[in-house]
Amino acid sequence: MSVLALELGTALAGVADLLRRATVQVQVGVRGEGSGVLWRADGLVLTNAHVAPAGRARVRISDGRVLEARVVARDPECDLAALLLPPGEFPVAERGSVAALRPGELIVAFGHPLGVPNALSLGVVHRVLRDDTGAPRWIQADLRLAPGNSGGPLADVSGRVLGLNTLVAGGLGYAVPVPVITRFLERAGPPASGRRAA
Amino acid sequence: MTASTSGQTSLLAGLSRDLAATVEQVGRSVVAIHGRRRIPSSGVVWRPGAVVAASHTISRDEDLTVTLASGRITPATLAGRDPTTDLAVLRLDDAAVPPVDRGDDADLQVGRLVLALGRPGPQLTASLGMVSAVGGEWRTWQGGKVDRFVRLDLSIYDGFSGGPLVEVGGRVLGINTSGLSRAVALALPVSTVERVTDQLLSAGRVRRGFLGLAAQPVQLPDPLRSRLGLTGRVGLVIVNLESEGPAEQGGLLLGDIIVALEGHEVGDPSDLLAALGPERVGEPVAVQLVRGGEIRTVNVTVGERPARRGR
Repeated sequence: MSVLALELGTALAGVADLLRRATVQVQVGVRGEGSGVLWRADGLVLTNAHVAPAGRARVRISDGRVLEARVVARDPECDLAALLLPPGEFPVAERGSVAALRPGELIVAFGHPLGVPNALSLGVVHRVLRDDTGAPRWIQADLRLAPGNSGGPLADVSGRVLGLNTLVAGGLGYAVPVPVITRFLERAGPPASGRRAA
Repeated sequence: MTASTSGQTSLLAGLSRDLAATVEQVGRSVVAIHGRRRIPSSGVVWRPGAVVAASHTISRDEDLTVTLASGRITPATLAGRDPTTDLAVLRLDDAAVPPVDRGDDADLQVGRLVLALGRPGPQLTASLGMVSAVGGEWRTWQGGKVDRFVRLDLSIYDGFSGGPLVEVGGRVLGINTSGLSRAVALALPVSTVERVTDQLLSAGRVRRGFLGLAAQPVQLPDPLRSRLGLTGRVGLVIVNLESEGPAEQGGLLLGDIIVALEGHEVGDPSDLLAALGPERVGEPVAVQLVRGGEIRTVNVTVGERPARRGR
């Protein structure tokens, strides 16, 4: 066994560990489960709007605790929702740069596909789809996703989050990129935006 | 993050950068081909001014255009197509686009990390996987000869057919196509692409030997075999002869049972196809057959298979 292949394997396990800490499981009523990403240390969680309808959701964080969260912002059009956990200090994921992404770069998805907890998949950037202004709209990913991955992180191989895995079409994964999430949070106002309520 | 984790992460990050650099470098020679109503398909600048593509993705012979990596759209002409191997070659006016760096068939090893590239539009796209199986020569369902069987463990997305299979160092190992198998991703190896490209560029087509007959296997009765000294158990009975085709002109008759070509036993119609390569066109071939309970040898001059409408 080559040392390089072993080191690569260990490195991937390290990336999985980083992402595991910042990835949550979102449960709403009797519906299936989705994934989510701890976005801010004060307990703001990002997931897909189709995972979290308005109201409340149960969120299982990586230390095993299940917390009641409140949906504080939601936009079905960009399929994003922001949830707020009870006050506390939570581990968050670093954010990576979407602007510099190139086809062929290694990426990973983390989440709970089909109810399997803490699953990692590896693939590459297929391409970044942009809107008319050139701003990233979707990251198309050549990797394996399944229901339950929704709302979970798509990240680079340093564990920096690039977007939220949202749908699968034509065998490709589609993730909402960080800039779209940032704009969504700004639009949403407090407490999702992090600005103090007036 | 601990120091060792960050060292390993930079190993992964380095691999990631290498993959993206390979995609970018090879991607300069990957073009989008506008030759059908659906989304564009992919093609590879294989030699200066010559683009290789998948025949089944080009539904017309004229009015073809190509989007280069630079984004420029330029007209292309069809040099020829070979539906039996699903390859087509287009000529570009622009010979400035660099051709890809080709590897050879020996680089096709099971487990080798490979990228598939496509340009189903202006943007370059990529998928990653490995060579999953490598076998010997095989024939496609249309009878084309492919020098190696190459099965891929990666996704060939819509519009990827005609794009390059690339080892992570940047050398092209083949052309990907979904046109030869519905079930699995396959690639045509470099040797096959070179051979077919040579023929399409020089003659506009791949010549194939042609006898103008249809035959089906029949069991040869044991007494007949022992009386005539035949070793094969199966022969090919002629069930159709094309009017004025090479076989009819050579004197073959309906009901003749072919047992050998040039002394080589035949037991399956594919044995006839295998014996009718381009080099046989215009050459005589000795057909051993059983007629009226007796063995005979009839010489037939191999013709050229007429072009079929096909993609």
